[in-house]
Amino acid sequence: MTEAELPTGGFSTPVGSRRTFFHWITAAAAVFVGIGLAIPMVGSLISPAFVRRRRDWVDVGAVDELFPGHPTQLDHVTTIRDGWMETKAQKAVWAVKQPQGDVKVFSPICTHLGCGYRWDDAEKKFLCPCHGSSYDVDGRVLGGPAPRPLDLLPAKVENGRLLVLYKEFKSGLPRSVEL
Amino acid sequence: MLDWDIVACNSEFIIQNLSFVNEMASRLYAWLDSRLNLKPVQRTLLDEPIPGGASWIYVFGSATLFLFVLQATTGMFLAIYYAPTPDHAYDSVRFIETEITFGWFVRGLHHWGASAMVVAIGLHMLQTFLYGAYKSPREVMWMVGVVLFLIVMTFAFTGYLLPWDQTAYWATQVGINMVGTVPLVGDLFSRVLRGGETLGALTLSRFFAIHVLFLPAILIGGIALHLFILRRVGPAGPWTDDRASLSSETFAPRQVYMDAVVIAGVFLVVATLAFAIPLPLTDRADPSDTSFVPVPEWYFLFYYELLKYVHGPLEPLATWILPLLIVLIMMCWPFIDRNQVRNPIRRPVALGSGLLFLSIVFGLLGISIKDLYAVPRTDPAVARGKAVYAQFGCAGCHRIHGEGGAVAPDLSTVGDVRPDRAWHLKHFRDPQATSPGSFMPKFPLTDQQLNDLTSYMLSLKRAT
Ligand code: FES
Repeated sequence: MTEAELPTGGFSTPVGSRRTFFHWITAAAAVFVGIGLAIPMVGSLISPAFVRRRRDWVDVGAVDELFPGHPTQLDHVTTIRDGWMETKAQKAVWAVKQPQGDVKVFSPICTHLGCGYRWDDAEKKFLCPCHGSSYDVDGRVLGGPAPRPLDLLPAKVENGRLLVLYKEFKSGLPRSVEL
Repeated sequence: MLDWDIVACNSEFIIQNLSFVNEMASRLYAWLDSRLNLKPVQRTLLDEPIPGGASWIYVFGSATLFLFVLQATTGMFLAIYYAPTPDHAYDSVRFIETEITFGWFVRGLHHWGASAMVVAIGLHMLQTFLYGAYKSPREVMWMVGVVLFLIVMTFAFTGYLLPWDQTAYWATQVGINMVGTVPLVGDLFSRVLRGGETLGALTLSRFFAIHVLFLPAILIGGIALHLFILRRVGPAGPWTDDRASLSSETFAPRQVYMDAVVIAGVFLVVATLAFAIPLPLTDRADPSDTSFVPVPEWYFLFYYELLKYVHGPLEPLATWILPLLIVLIMMCWPFIDRNQVRNPIRRPVALGSGLLFLSIVFGLLGISIKDLYAVPRTDPAVARGKAVYAQFGCAGCHRIHGEGGAVAPDLSTVGDVRPDRAWHLKHFRDPQATSPGSFMPKFPLTDQQLNDLTSYMLSLKRAT
């Protein structure tokens, strides 16, 4: 410290190592409080970003009511957890019973841009009204702008009931990417 | 085994890094200073002379300011998840408490920070009072300080409602009704506070808005004014002028260091409380359950106790005349106490009246706390009964305070509904004997377990 920088007015100000000591303790206190606050607060802020939506198997109906090769739209109600709220939502899936008895379940959303499609019994095709994508009974693309086959949902049969794990997928990609 | 070389190496590494950070910081400062001319600002902020030198007794103002900053930051983070509507407030607080990582801790900091703030302000005012620091030329600073204190109490009052649980709801109900006892304007005031005639959605949203928008704005303005006056008139220093003139010291670094140490200590205490003492929510606010007796926060307890002693025609005296009088006396205190001397020993009247006031407040607080703790001492049998309840999975069918299945009757207030011990003993031995058609199974309970479980059932009453 040069002469010019010394405080004037005759205050008794600590100098030398005593001054350094006060600086370091002050800095340490600031760091302690800062970190003690930053970790919990930032933690609380970002933690929901790492929570994957919890999904449950939902019962969508009896397997007996499905006929092989004949797609059926099945409605069911799922519980959606949104923060502290729980809401019920109506969801539909397309179920196709296979000749061997197992069931393929398709997400009801067109892989192109997310419209809802339907089964045309006369043409034996899934048809999307929006931009004209069409799929066969196995979900393979037959025509239109659809970039990939229909998305399959995990499904299983228990005690004659069809259980489905409802998921959503990003639209417009050549591969299925779960949302 | 510890490898001391590595330890030594590491500490050297840390020290090198620290000095590197230091070096970078001072370079950045030099760069900014060359453009913004910061040195004079720094001198104004940090080289303020303190008459008589730095002291550990001057830390309370800084501690209070720190706690305000703590409340503001934790409050901002709580607001990220909080929903101020009656149908979501309780759930959103429970969500913060149970599902958000560190959510319980941030809420705990905010809760205990409020208490700590009341303590810090109390000590700050006490020190100002003892040192006679409110005397000329600091009267305005004292008055602004009293306003700041009242704002903080309003913060506490409005914040208490936000979790929207039973305690919150009924304590606020009582508080607003007290406002209603003021003659002429009381009814209007309480309606404005509630946003109508019932405590509900409009009350919650306006308390929320007042708590997070209006009050912080006013408080920040008040703090700025308080500090502005401090810088205009300077700190008061020791009560004897000769000691004050003997030496003087700048604010930095020693007072800054003392403030910082105390602030870190305060944070440690608040964090420990937040960590160690969980803040359970009581049941969700239920306007139909009028039997709930709320208990206010500890810093309103002395007043709550006072209200127990005044009834009938004297009631307005306690609900508004006395508080108004006390606030007025506090506000005007610098003009009431005209004694020029600051030394406490030579101000017996001021000191005596301060002491009298404090002993009344703390006396009432003490009685109130004693009463509160005298009643709900939990019987050890109740605790054992609770364990039996958990062990046999009773919660699978029965619900207590919102937890457990809804197949069988809710037991939250079974102690009120069926206060008959013999009935319970008989019921647990053979449910069908007392409740024909019940599908509750017989549980193989020992006599001791049977008794404990019954004690637990009988303890389940409406909160008192
Ligand atoms: S969304 Fe189905 S074809 Fe475009």
